[in-house]
Amino acid sequence: MKIKINFYLLEYALSTLLRQKRKNIFIITVFTLLTFILSSTFFITNSIKYELNTTVDSLPEIIIQNLKAGKSYDIDTSVVDTIIPIAGVEDVTPRIWGYYFFKNAGVNFTIIGIDQFEKQYKSSFDAIANNFKIDDDSSMIVGLGVQKILHDNYYKEYFNFIKPDGSFKKIKIAGVFKGETQLESNDVIVLSKIAIREILDIDEYTATDIVVKVKNKDEIPTVVQKIQELYPSFRIITNEDIKVSYQNIFDYKSGLFLALFIISLFTFFMVIYDKTSGLTSEEKKEIGILKALGWTVDDILKEKFYESFLISFIAYICGILLAFIFVYIFQAPLLRDVFVGYSDLKTTFELPFVLDLQTLALVFFLSVPIYIAATIIPSWRIATLDADEVIR
Amino acid sequence: MIQLQNVNKRYIINKNHTVDALQNINLDFKEGELIVLKGASGSGKSTILSLIAALSKPTSGEVIVDGKRISKLPDHFASIYRRENIGFIFQKYNLIPNLTVEENILLPLIPSNPSEKYASVRLDDLMKQFNIEHKKNIIVQNLSGGEQQRVAIARAHINNPKIIIADEPTANLDEKLSLHFCEILKELKQSNKTIIVATHDPLFFNLDFVDKIIDIKNGHIIS
Repeated sequence: MKIKINFYLLEYALSTLLRQKRKNIFIITVFTLLTFILSSTFFITNSIKYELNTTVDSLPEIIIQNLKAGKSYDIDTSVVDTIIPIAGVEDVTPRIWGYYFFKNAGVNFTIIGIDQFEKQYKSSFDAIANNFKIDDDSSMIVGLGVQKILHDNYYKEYFNFIKPDGSFKKIKIAGVFKGETQLESNDVIVLSKIAIREILDIDEYTATDIVVKVKNKDEIPTVVQKIQELYPSFRIITNEDIKVSYQNIFDYKSGLFLALFIISLFTFFMVIYDKTSGLTSEEKKEIGILKALGWTVDDILKEKFYESFLISFIAYICGILLAFIFVYIFQAPLLRDVFVGYSDLKTTFELPFVLDLQTLALVFFLSVPIYIAATIIPSWRIATLDADEVIR
Repeated sequence: MIQLQNVNKRYIINKNHTVDALQNINLDFKEGELIVLKGASGSGKSTILSLIAALSKPTSGEVIVDGKRISKLPDHFASIYRRENIGFIFQKYNLIPNLTVEENILLPLIPSNPSEKYASVRLDDLMKQFNIEHKKNIIVQNLSGGEQQRVAIARAHINNPKIIIADEPTANLDEKLSLHFCEILKELKQSNKTIIVATHDPLFFNLDFVDKIIDIKNGHIIS
């Protein structure tokens, strides 16, 4: 069956919108704002989720920490020799790392020690080990965010670390690296193990923690159980545990809650607005006149559908475009802080561009049909009355 | 052509208050006749027009047009019946004030989605016939009363209906314009339209081309 579009109806809908310019500009503005806030929150959470998942996926399967009464201590490197024989374990590496607080900028750097000749526990460190020379104790590779902060604070070629005894350790910036995600690389400084031991005052027989690689992911719980049996006091963390804790750090669950709250609030506002001021006595009379002139209820509802669809779709597109610009070009000032937990202490990172069609569809279905329904229902109520009654 | 058989119409104002607008009305109009419904305000004239146009339904009785019981038509078919058979000229014209003359006249055509050529030819013919072609793109609220009425008449004709209904058509016009309206009615009658006019304007009671004058008082036919 051939469907013939009634362009007269569409034209009439357009002229009706233009006749009520003020009201419609107000509705489009509010609706655009709603779509903008809604899609911005979704874009931010999508970006953070992407960063989070990529970061966690690149982490070792198991991390062992020496925890005593809730306090973390360095761990004896001899533990490595007792874990290697466990069935399923692929590799065990002692890690030396920590946070370095850079007072001038008020941010924490994550400093990580690697040995250029060791097998690296992270693929991005392999790239560093292959591309840069950090086998001495006087050079380091920094993430992009660190480079920017140091550069802004006059450290263009080197940086002076302050050691626990108060003396300085001058280290040359040998290069900049980019990880798979900015969360992974942005605040990171990679140095030789010798240098980091000096900066954090860790002796050569201890490490910050130990990471364990497991070939078969299904065997992780068994390996964890065996390590726990060997060292009941150690804290053993899997990357699944980290994923959960990262989720808490970035609060994206509460972010989603906030998004839903905003949707409810604005939708409620729109519906109330439409109910109270949507159909003026002139609009009611117009529906009566159209019916008296031979328009069916279907014709009237079609026309109202075109009107509300045009308004809500224009607002939806505007909202989405604004959200793209706000989130991915301006990096969501103010709103991002709601979702990123401790950003004050961390170097800032850029939200990666993630185009998720499901999110666009979700925002569409949470906004456009609701507005269309809120417009059509009052019109339907009037259109189903006797035309005579409405005109009188 | 148009028959009203034992028609009663009761308006329910609220639980304790009802108004019997029409009581036991029997009428029979033939094709091509010009009928004047005469009576004071509130006598029930407009209610008869409203029933014939299927704008409302009788409380009891039948309204039959061309053998069809239009008082039993569901809402959707009542609209189609109006579109195809009725041209309504309302007392206050009921134009959409912020649309142009052209847009107002085309309103009844919109649901049938005609070809652009047909709509354009029909529109031009009617605007010429009623001498408003020079006002085509003017917003109707900026027109005089007489011009607004001619737009309303053109609109009532756009679908070429068999029945023209006019409710107090000269209530807002001066004597000269009222006479002009009567001339238009005469032309329409010559084109074999059935015309029903509800009015209390004495001008209509002495017109030689009026076929019937029906006097209505308090919902009853007096003569």
